Amino acid sequence: MRFKGGALVVGALAVALAAAGCSETTNDGDNGGSQEAKTQSGSISYEAADNTGPAKAVEGATKGGTLTVMQNSDFEHLDPARNYVNVQQLTANLIYRSLNGYVEDGSGKMLLVGDLATNPGTDVNKDCKVWEFKLRDGLKYEDGSAISTKDVAWGIARSFAPELNEGPHYIQQWLYPGGAYNASYKGPYEGGQMPAGIETPDDKTIKFTFAAPHCDMPYAAALPTSAPVPQAKDTKGQYDLKPFSSGPYKVKSYTRDNLLELERNPNWDANTDPIRTAYPDVYKFSFGLEQQQIAERLVADAAADQASITWGDTPPAVLPRTTGAGVAERVAKGPTQYVWYLGINNQRIKDKKIREALYYGLDRDAALKAIGGTSAGTPASTLMSPTTAGFEAYDAYNAPATGDVNKVKEILGGTTPPPLVLAHSNTPLRTAQAEAIRASLVKAGFQVTLKAIEATSYYDEVGRKNTPFDLYLHGWGSDWPTGSTIIPPLYDSREIVDEGNQNLAYFAEPSIDAEIDRIKTLSAAEQDAAWMALDKKIMTEFLPEIPAYYDATHELFGSKVGNVFLSDAFGAIQLNKIYVKP
Amino acid sequence: MVRFITRRVLVGVATIIAISIIVFGLFFAVPSSPAKVMCGKNCDPASIAAVETRLGLREPIVEQYTSFMKGVFVGRTYAPGTAFERQCDAPCLGYSFRNDEPVTAILKRTVPVTISIVVGAAILWLLIGVSLGMISALRRGTLFDKIAIGISLTGASMQVFFFGLILLYGLVYATGWLDFPSYTPFTENPLKWAQGLILPWVTLGFLNSAIYARLSRAQMLETLSEDYVRTARAKGLPLGRVYTKHALRAAITPIVTIAGLDIGASLGGTFITETIFGLRGLGKETVEAVNFLNLPIVVATVLLAAVFIVVANLIVDLLYAVIDPRVRLS
Amino acid sequence: MTAPASAPNSPTTTDKDPYLRVNDLRVQFPTEDGVVKAVDGVSFSVERGKTLGIVGESGSGKSVTSLTIMGLHNTKRARISGEILVGGRNVVGMTEEQTRRLRGRDMAMIFQDPLSALHPYYKVGAQIAEAYKVHHPNASKAEAKKRAVDMLGRVGIPQPARRADSYPHEFSGGMRQRAMIAMALVNDPDLLIADEPTTALDVTVQAQILDLLEDLQREFNSAIIMITHDLGVVAQVADEVLVMYGGRAVEFGTVEQVMRRPQHPYTWGLLASVPSLHGDSDADLVPIKGNPPSLINLPTGCAFHPRCRYAGRNGDRSFTEVPELHQVLERGHLVACHLSEADRTKFYAEDIAPSAGVAQ
Repeated sequence: MRFKGGALVVGALAVALAAAGCSETTNDGDNGGSQEAKTQSGSISYEAADNTGPAKAVEGATKGGTLTVMQNSDFEHLDPARNYVNVQQLTANLIYRSLNGYVEDGSGKMLLVGDLATNPGTDVNKDCKVWEFKLRDGLKYEDGSAISTKDVAWGIARSFAPELNEGPHYIQQWLYPGGAYNASYKGPYEGGQMPAGIETPDDKTIKFTFAAPHCDMPYAAALPTSAPVPQAKDTKGQYDLKPFSSGPYKVKSYTRDNLLELERNPNWDANTDPIRTAYPDVYKFSFGLEQQQIAERLVADAAADQASITWGDTPPAVLPRTTGAGVAERVAKGPTQYVWYLGINNQRIKDKKIREALYYGLDRDAALKAIGGTSAGTPASTLMSPTTAGFEAYDAYNAPATGDVNKVKEILGGTTPPPLVLAHSNTPLRTAQAEAIRASLVKAGFQVTLKAIEATSYYDEVGRKNTPFDLYLHGWGSDWPTGSTIIPPLYDSREIVDEGNQNLAYFAEPSIDAEIDRIKTLSAAEQDAAWMALDKKIMTEFLPEIPAYYDATHELFGSKVGNVFLSDAFGAIQLNKIYVKP
Repeated sequence: MVRFITRRVLVGVATIIAISIIVFGLFFAVPSSPAKVMCGKNCDPASIAAVETRLGLREPIVEQYTSFMKGVFVGRTYAPGTAFERQCDAPCLGYSFRNDEPVTAILKRTVPVTISIVVGAAILWLLIGVSLGMISALRRGTLFDKIAIGISLTGASMQVFFFGLILLYGLVYATGWLDFPSYTPFTENPLKWAQGLILPWVTLGFLNSAIYARLSRAQMLETLSEDYVRTARAKGLPLGRVYTKHALRAAITPIVTIAGLDIGASLGGTFITETIFGLRGLGKETVEAVNFLNLPIVVATVLLAAVFIVVANLIVDLLYAVIDPRVRLS
Repeated sequence: MTAPASAPNSPTTTDKDPYLRVNDLRVQFPTEDGVVKAVDGVSFSVERGKTLGIVGESGSGKSVTSLTIMGLHNTKRARISGEILVGGRNVVGMTEEQTRRLRGRDMAMIFQDPLSALHPYYKVGAQIAEAYKVHHPNASKAEAKKRAVDMLGRVGIPQPARRADSYPHEFSGGMRQRAMIAMALVNDPDLLIADEPTTALDVTVQAQILDLLEDLQREFNSAIIMITHDLGVVAQVADEVLVMYGGRAVEFGTVEQVMRRPQHPYTWGLLASVPSLHGDSDADLVPIKGNPPSLINLPTGCAFHPRCRYAGRNGDRSFTEVPELHQVLERGHLVACHLSEADRTKFYAEDIAPSAGVAQ
């Protein structure tokens, strides 16, 4: 998934605020010394032990209390059909349950298991085309009524409605391949039709039938669109405000832009849930505070704020005060699933030697310093993020973080590289970063011109196949922690279209396309290593573009919050096993 | 007087209509489409088109404007004939592009915050600033005057964000003497309301006091040198009566004007104060809406700000006419 | 009648003592640049029913003198010495409260610009009534109002009851000054100080106002000080004239004496700068060359010497010695000049008389 457009705009506001003592609120973090990337393991589990509730208790955890999440801005959507932002998903995860979900414990060992489903899905014909899920026994909504697969089907059906189009559409697209996901079926509201390819033979069973193999289905089923929405409770556009609870908490009150309060759903049974421990009695999400204020308050750790966390990155102005005793241990930091690339237009720069020279010429340190230093991220050498399942660190070129001018000269061998145009989004942050990148490339002997593009149309401009630019920074994060939502969208030549491209390197290599096809037919468990190998192969043999840095996050929490860790699936503090110390 | 008021009201209405047209026009002059901001991660051209259709952005601008105005006065129906049909009663200001919240609900929530901040601060700054300035003027050259001038110079040269942050560090972060400001509706708990707003009041109130003290002092000094003050003394009026009845009334006139306009403008949003103290008022809402290209909120908040200013102007004009008989005829 | 302290009182007056007697008045304002000697040893007196004209350029000290008599200077910022006897009471050294009681009741003042001197926010009648009420605390509002209307009628304002409810800006310039006069006379003051009362008015209105003042003086038998730079006004209304320059009195006498037989070169200059109805219409007006002196750094000797074309005719006395008022020619005619009487007569006859018109 691409970095949210809104984030770029917010960045512009936040920088304008810098003069007012506030600071850039997006995308800064410090992953300090933790350079060694975590390696994911055992991504999908069909083990009964992993798939059975209750969730493993956290040592020393206590039940009760109110956990407060201080956020800069309100959520846009909690409606499962419209929920595509990590913090919204972390929140919604407390309210409604999807077919599948992730069991996390902060050790880096993340398991995809059945959530409503008894296991992560049965590949009925072992061809990844027909997937069946069985619901657990004893699942109830907040009103005590039983959860049915019909409601899961309704939830997916309604996600086709153009009015509710903000969510992820993997299953939707797989059900209706070729063209837009909702080109032919536009949801159940007009005419009451249910989507083709979904069967609910009984209230416990749901079966998906795809035309093509989709071995990733267990991951796609972990996305919010597979959460059950009873037709009778479907408030359509208003569902955002009060999703009908199938999880441990329900919405008590929701004042937009101010406060969302969750209270326990008495009909939730811990024994049906292998994922959530549900320790706090109440979750409060308070909105509208500047990230600077939030950070200051969490650093100060006043009594009223001790049971609080934030998902916002600590602004640089507050960072120095987060290293001392009493504060340092109250920071959750590490890489997110996002990687930032210096995109190279392979249609224009066909010679790998020049791309290699650019790789050595890029001063990653300077590019990071321009947006907040090491707090913003760490230099990258792989296409996939360290949070990806099966990740293994490698460095195919061993370029120093500050670049290697001599190596550039050696590679170019006295030839003059063509003049290059570096496009960048016109936010202050991205402009400063582009200037730093340009400076480092010029130092290495390249001729680089900058081209600023209005922030909201940046990806339109560079995503146009005939884009006149040679270089452009772009970010990408996976929708689930496997290579299947990274390598295919970014490097499959068949994904290249006239407009709205995600393969921004415009990288076209039939052998890679073939390998992608091959990996897609592997079972999900086998795919992880295969994607990692393909990552390395693309980098080593083709170097289509330059992984510049892994995005990092740096989140503060109060002294009375226990079991705080960054979710590998969502790149922010996980809420479902957190607890409030008495 | 009736003609005077009628004329001012008509001018005010015309101003507001003109502003609404300008806001609409400006918004559409911006090159980026709000749909791109709203469509989240699914920003392929088809999704954008769907969002644009849903937001009504594909209609001609004149039509969008007229449906907006129709909504304000008689209400309107969104997505008629579909499952998502919604009746929006007058005064309908539409729905937030970002999260579909009715704009009137947003205003209902944010306006009281800003009004609370401004009214509280205005009472402070008028009481402190004006009396400080007046006393200073009457005790011109004394130690009191010099200290007052010093304080007001300091205050006037300080910025809200600087002073506000100092207060936050000193009274909240470092010492924990006060809780971080928050808004509780007055009707819910007046004490909590005041407690939560004390910092913004002090910040805005102190800084504006400085300005008003200087202004009042200058006005009072100028008035004291007026011939009619000398006349009043020559009549044998006691000094107290000269100051209160003859000098104060004249000196206060321009202060009323400026205070009226200041308060009117502040009601449109005290963005910096709201931001520093994390209070979600009209100012913060507006700036955020502009950043998200959230047209319905932008239009509503800008128009509301304009209404505040126009009404403040009207009130100031009327007050002026009450205070100064010369204005009544002109 | 009136006379400087050195001059004996005229035995012909009806009252034993002049109502106002000013003895060696000095008013100084300390400023950052130095001490402003606004009034420097001035003495004069005015009887009831009589009018003293004080003439001089701006900065000559005439307005400061009148404000000092009224006690309108801030005693914290002005250093005042000498004696001002109003009906026998010395105003100098009185507290604010004491002078306040005199102000508006025993002595009243009319200012130059009635538009700015009347409060723009209050009705004319109310402002007059206020002046009455402050000195008649037992009077009811209605009585005060009635008194104000009466006064407006007395000063010649038509439909006074209706006009009393008008605001100053609704009055014409002449009407405003009539209202101002009504306000000043509402308590039957014994002393009326009129500071350039006609300067801001049309010429025709000027004459009406002056006539009114004369009529009212006859009626109320007040002593009047008429401060002006306009010798024409002085000639019309004054009994005696005091010419001031640089904070000092330079010439004093009856109107006849000062206007017909002026003795001080400064007075000559003043007269020469007045257009004459009788003199040669081709003759140029002769303005006094130079500028009024700085009251902080007065020229040594005779303050007028830098502008006086006869300075130095008496050795260097003009430059070193401050001339005192002394009697010349006639009884009561005083002049502060180092020129000998013979010289003055000669210069006047040769240089001044032919070109200068003298106001009647």
